[in-house]
Order: sequence, then structure tokens, then C-alpha cells
Amino acid sequence: MLKYLSVGLVAQLLVNGILFGTMYGTAAIGLSLIFGTMRIIFLAQGTIIIFFAYICYWLFTLFGIDPYLSLVFVVPMSLLLGMGIYQALFKEAAALEDKNISLLIAIGLMFLVENLMTVVWTGNPRSITTGYTSLVFRPIGIDLTFTRLVALLMAILSTAGVVLFLKKTLIGMAVRAASEDMVSAALVGIGSHRVNAVAFAIGIGLAGIAGVSLATIYPFDPFYGFIFVLKALISLALGGIGNVFGALLGGIILGLLESLASFFLSGGWSDAISYAVFLLVLMFKPEGLFVRSIQKA
Amino acid sequence: MENHLLEVKGLDVLYGDVQAVWDLSIYVDRGAIVALVGANGAGKTTLLKTISGIIHARRGEVFFSGRSLAKLRPQEVVNIGVSHVPEGRRLFSKLTVLENLKLGAYPPRARPLFAKSLERAYGLFPVLKERKKQTAGSLSGGEQQMLAIARALMAQPDLLMLDEPSLGLSPILVRTMFELICTLNNQKVTILLVEQNIHQALKIAHQAYVLKTGKIAMSGRGNELLSDPEIQKAYIGERWSKPR
Repeated sequence: MLKYLSVGLVAQLLVNGILFGTMYGTAAIGLSLIFGTMRIIFLAQGTIIIFFAYICYWLFTLFGIDPYLSLVFVVPMSLLLGMGIYQALFKEAAALEDKNISLLIAIGLMFLVENLMTVVWTGNPRSITTGYTSLVFRPIGIDLTFTRLVALLMAILSTAGVVLFLKKTLIGMAVRAASEDMVSAALVGIGSHRVNAVAFAIGIGLAGIAGVSLATIYPFDPFYGFIFVLKALISLALGGIGNVFGALLGGIILGLLESLASFFLSGGWSDAISYAVFLLVLMFKPEGLFVRSIQKA
Repeated sequence: MENHLLEVKGLDVLYGDVQAVWDLSIYVDRGAIVALVGANGAGKTTLLKTISGIIHARRGEVFFSGRSLAKLRPQEVVNIGVSHVPEGRRLFSKLTVLENLKLGAYPPRARPLFAKSLERAYGLFPVLKERKKQTAGSLSGGEQQMLAIARALMAQPDLLMLDEPSLGLSPILVRTMFELICTLNNQKVTILLVEQNIHQALKIAHQAYVLKTGKIAMSGRGNELLSDPEIQKAYIGERWSKPR
């Protein structure tokens, strides 16, 4: 295989890795926000992403709505769904000391949505084919797929949006404050339900965006969500919990690793290497790779 | 009765099976400085936590301006005018000084007054204005304590509860801290002060309670307790017993 190796090919692998990694990163930011205020890993995140991929697929096949145009529906719908999920499923459990209950609810939600999707859309992979699905730019000998470039753009814009929200709005500051110290936040008047609901809304909102990105690039099936959330979790470990840009960077690093591993070794090895990296990071740098640089900033 | 801004009646507080506060009753007059003193584990911090709604009492009542606080959550207590500066400051260390202050004015009652409150905070603590863009975690210990108090004042409290404000400060800063408490009190803020620095606390307190293993061992005017031989022996020690 090495005889095919060229600078162009390596560059191509890197570009693909970055483009795909941004989707992991978007999912990881959602996990990070929800973990920040709720102290649970929201394991249903990946399945919700797939759910929105199906929504996007449905809007496209049933109503002929362009996947990117469907964001107009998907984003508000996912924000509302996030609040709804919190209010309906997690509000009571969030007040409890024992976080395992919330975690189990998340796992239950994951299996429920996974199986509902199988009933509605079957377990066979679905994909969206539009006029621009195979559109490719070739600026310097590297193939840049249009849909992946848009995915990158959406990831960067939504990350920037989340960062601005957290920095500039009072409720955003409250979410950051509650992530740091919930008791202290309550003492200045911040209600935990409010910040939890906001964290959920943004987390699921990002899942909506990631779902649309995914639907335009890859075939998907109901069971891909669990693998996706594991990848998001690895990105989160790489980036450090509570660090929005770190989570995006973590996703990009993971995307790069997978892209290189699946070319030089094999597709099967790429997952093994991802999980090995996960373990290594947790063992030797559990606070994340970028923590020091963030503290200085 | 209407002079009592805060009234605690027959309070029992338990952590699991361990009772931390036993049938405790205190009151705080409007405009006063009231000190709660006593050894570690006497129940002082527990009492403040119960008033601010972080923990709930097994039995007993807490009234603020005649209104029961028993069922309220911390975010509701701060919105009716009771601010609690917890032990160890508990700032949002990754947030900037200004962001901490903005969040101090989070309660609905304080939001319209934000500009005025910020001016007051910067007036009391000019150093916070200089450092407003720094993260709270990068401040010195004294500055952090100032920020913790400033953040609590942003909520425009009628009652300010301070838990060990002088802890870990240098002797000069300790003196500044007690002067500050008197300044705030002159600005019509009622103060409920928990302190290990018993001598200083009793000196400025109008009323004081000595707590011992969750019960009131003694109470009275601050300067009366200060000259009480038993207090001197038990809590203050030889160093302070000479007439000054």
C-alpha cells in the first residue's frame, strides 16, 4: 500500500480527518455542556444526532426540502426538544444526589429512540443524495467534498455561536458559573433547572446540526448513534471537559487519528486505536490535552 | 417584633443521623451587626446554610421580615434580600471579576439596579475595577474575599451573612475586613457574621451568640461578652485579657 503514498494523499487523509472530526467535536461540545451543569455523560447524544439525520432525511424524501434548508426547522425543533427532554425526563432526577439515576435515564432514552427509529425507518442504512452530494473541489490537488466543507463551516459557526452565548449573555454566564460550582451559583440566585434546561437545549441543538451534517455526508442507521457518542466522549476526554474549543479540537484530533489509522492499518484498527487513545488520555492526562493553555488564556 | 429582621426559632438541623444544630433560637435586629462565634463544629456554618436554603431544617422556623424561609430554595432566599458569602469564598474562578459581579446581580430584584450596584462595588473596592477583566482565580486571597463580598452586595441584600471573612487573610487585611464590615453596616446593611477571630468579631458586634456543639452557650451584647471572664478563658486566651 505504501507505494501509492504521496504528499497529496497524506494531505487528503488529513483533510478528511479534520472534516469528519468536526462532527465528533460538535457532539462533544453538547456532551460537555450537559456534563457541566448535570454531571452526567448524556449517552443518548449520538442517537439523537442520528434521529435528526432521519428527520433531515424525511424532510428531504417526503417534502423535497433541501438538507441545508431543513436547518431552519431542525435547529428550533432540536432546541425545543432539548428543553422538553430535560423537563420531562431529567428534572426530578437532576435534583437527586445520586447521578446514576440521570445516567440510567439517558441510557434508557438512547435505547428507546434507537428502537423507535428501527421501527419507523428499519435498520437498513439510509442516505441522502442531492445534486451536490458528489460535488468536489480540487484546489491544490486535494479533493474537498462540498458537503464536508459545509459540515466544517457549520461546526465552526455553531461552536463560535455557543462560545459567544456562554460569554456574552447573562444566562450563558450562569451556565458557566453553575458548571463550576452549583451551590455557589444557587447562592447568587441561579436556579439549577434553568441552567440545566439551557444546557440541554444547546446540547440537543448541536445534535440537530450534527445530524444534518451527518445525513449529507454518510449513510446512517439507527445503531450508529452509540458508536458516535463514544467517539464524542473520546473527543471530550482529549479536549478536557468544560472547554468548548477544546472539545472541537479533540474531535478534530480524533478524526485525524481515525483517518490515518484506517488508511495505514485498516478500518477495524481505526476504532481500536481511538479507544486506546481514550484510555491513554484518561490514564496520563485526564484533565485533557489543552488544559494548561486554557488556564493561561 | 418588627425590629427583628431575622428570627430563628427552635431550629434542629441534621446531617444524616448526626445532629449539628439543637433547638437553636437567635434573632437579628434590623441594622445590627450580629456575631456567631464558637469553636469549629459548633454549628455556625450549618446555621447560615439553613438560613440561605442550602440545607433544610428538621424542625424549627426561620423568619425574614416576617416571612418564613423554611420552604425556599437558595435562589429564592437571595431574591428576597438575604445574601450569603460562603466559607472559602467560592467564587466562579474561571469567570472574570466583572462576570462574577454581573452574576451577583442575577436575582430579579437586583437586575434593574445593576449599574448602581456596580458603582457601589467599585467604590468600596477600587482594586476590583482595575482587575475587572482578570479571572477571579487569578486574584490574591484578599482580593478574592473582597470580590466575594462585592458579589453578594450586587444582590442588594438587606441581610448580609458572612462566613469566616477574615480566614486566611494577613493581619492588616483582617483589620481592613472588619473596618469594611462596619462601613457596610453604616450603609444600612444588617450583618450576620460567623468568625473564628472572636476578639475582633465581639468588638464590632452589637449582639453576639456563642455556639457550642450546636447549642447557644452564651449570648449578649458584643462588648459584654468580650469582657466576660469565661469567654476570655475559653476562646480568647491570655493575649487579649489585658486591658487595652
